[in-house]
Amino acid sequence: MTKKLLAALLLGGCAGNDDTQPDVANDETDAPVVYVSNYPLEYFANRIGGGVVRVEFPMTTATDPAFWRPDAAVVIAMQTADLILLNGATYEKWIDLVTLPAANVVNTSAGFVDRYLTVASAVTHTHGPEGEHSHEGTAFTTWLDPTLAILHAEAVTNALSERWPNSASAFQDNLAILREDLDRLDGDLGDATAALRDVPLLASHPIYQYFAAHYGLDIEAVTWEPDEMPSEREWNALRDLLRRHPARLMLWEAEPAAAIAARLAEMGVGALVFGQYGNRPDVGDYLDAMNANAERLGAPR
Amino acid sequence: MPGSLYLAWRYVAHHWIKTTILTASITLIVFLPLGVRVLIQQSAEHLTARAEATPLLVGAPGSPLELVLNSLYFGTEMPDPLSYADVDSLDAGGLAQPIPLYTRFRAQSHPIVGTSLDYFAFRNLSVADGGLFTLLGECVIGVRVAEALGVGPGDAIVSSPESVFDLAGVYPLKMRVAGVLEFSDSPDDDAIFTDLKTTWVIAGIGHGHQDLTDASAAAGVLRRDSMTITANAAVVQYNEITEANIASFHFHGDLGSYPVTAIIAVPPDQRSATILRGRFEEGDLGAQIVVPSDVMDELLRTVLTVQTFVLAAVVVIGMGTLATAGLVFGLSIRARQREFTTMVKIGASPASVRWLVASEMAVVLSAAMLGATLLTFVTAAYGPPLIRALLL
Repeated sequence: MTKKLLAALLLGGCAGNDDTQPDVANDETDAPVVYVSNYPLEYFANRIGGGVVRVEFPMTTATDPAFWRPDAAVVIAMQTADLILLNGATYEKWIDLVTLPAANVVNTSAGFVDRYLTVASAVTHTHGPEGEHSHEGTAFTTWLDPTLAILHAEAVTNALSERWPNSASAFQDNLAILREDLDRLDGDLGDATAALRDVPLLASHPIYQYFAAHYGLDIEAVTWEPDEMPSEREWNALRDLLRRHPARLMLWEAEPAAAIAARLAEMGVGALVFGQYGNRPDVGDYLDAMNANAERLGAPR
Repeated sequence: MPGSLYLAWRYVAHHWIKTTILTASITLIVFLPLGVRVLIQQSAEHLTARAEATPLLVGAPGSPLELVLNSLYFGTEMPDPLSYADVDSLDAGGLAQPIPLYTRFRAQSHPIVGTSLDYFAFRNLSVADGGLFTLLGECVIGVRVAEALGVGPGDAIVSSPESVFDLAGVYPLKMRVAGVLEFSDSPDDDAIFTDLKTTWVIAGIGHGHQDLTDASAAAGVLRRDSMTITANAAVVQYNEITEANIASFHFHGDLGSYPVTAIIAVPPDQRSATILRGRFEEGDLGAQIVVPSDVMDELLRTVLTVQTFVLAAVVVIGMGTLATAGLVFGLSIRARQREFTTMVKIGASPASVRWLVASEMAVVLSAAMLGATLLTFVTAAYGPPLIRALLL
């Protein structure tokens, strides 16, 4: 209801915007502003609404969006945005610390709350500029399951269509193309993980829950950073873990330091990078990065 | 004629006690019906205008009047709370835009209203100085709060404890003033607005505290095992939300179970309003929906009935007072017969004597009319806020 009111208000306020013409912005600065809370949503929103809306992803590439917190200036900018797209699944820890217009906020995973997974156990740890944090609670890297990524994209499409109905058909067309890409990615990841089913796997961070659940992988996670040599206590804990979960491959968000990879190799565990891309990849876009993930997973070992 | 007026003036000035009592009696008897009428008319207009601007109000089952007075005029009697899940379900129903309100707390005499940003657009409130609240712990204040407390953007306001004897009750929260609203000639001028979540922090159901994994918090740890740290009462909880500690603030459990005192429901059209009211009136939603203007009309009907009785009583008392005043004048004239005879003997005409008496009465009546008019103007200027204060 609130969204309909807002859409009516926005459309009513647009000079020369009749009922039959799509809402194409004449200028980048004229375009309605859509804020997103992570890179996959930025990618989906641009693929679906690009040309009609201006998508703002308000953080630098050095930040992990899962542990980012907006300052007052960003919150003020978000308060004046036309739409704010959230990942949901407790991804935005900052949402309880700020004030946003509820009518403009859309949780793009609200449609599959029943598919949320929980992190069974977690420890608090520190890395990067975000300081100390933990991964406990609801697992939030939903987009690593391409079928859930499609649901995110559909939620984005619905939110955009509700606000800018004149462009709804264009949004739907764009979604159809994106869905094909994500279906293809799903197939590729399925092929790449076929040989890994029923094989114990390790992960350097507890972020692969949805990915593992969708492809039937048996992943146990530690909480290691690629650039921080784990303590002896952590290595011992890994040895204990390997006794009951004899994994030969550990998934990493980023390339681990050579010393860590070497010590893992001594224990018979290989390291493989499978990025989660909550923030922008260094090279290419979301699909490029996820396809690269699939290629690395499927490569002969 | 001027001589008669002068003599009349000298007479009433000389007998000032009698004149003052007479003038005051007539002033009051003229003012009372006028004042009551003006007071009720203006208050009614003021109260109904805000009620009419609020299409629907959802609250817990109970007194509709209490719900309306608390939600629209921030009265001190708090209705039973609803849960925030009711806000979500109202939104999901798609029949109205929900604007939550949580009005439990005060800062000195000023109500603290926890709400969403939609409230400001709904009430057409704009910020005169500073901005709206953005972060947890910030507030926006009405212009009369700013004047009364002498605060502005960047300053702080501390919430008042509910009871000084309730040691286990809510702790005061120091809130940063983000902005001051434009004057709106409404109860919003006297209110402190903040995010709903900030009021939950005041209520103690959201909080920030020392990091219990940190060595400095050892005194606040009751028990620690591999998975759980249990804090004791010594753990330091923050009573101000700052850049340094904001990240430590959190809410336990399901936000859907958190309290709100009312929800303003803004349907887009009459059809949606009717359907929505029908759903609530079926009675299975565990809440009531009221039309604030209907509730206020009911209240005003009661007030008008009382007004009729008051006016009838005033008319009777007025007649008695005027009769007494007539008697006072009559007795006074009789007591002054020798004075009037002397005046005639020294050359005054009987007409001059009659003019003298008439002038004395005119002076008293004119002073009474002037007094009644002044009192009516004062009532018109200050009566409605007074009535609001008395009613709420």
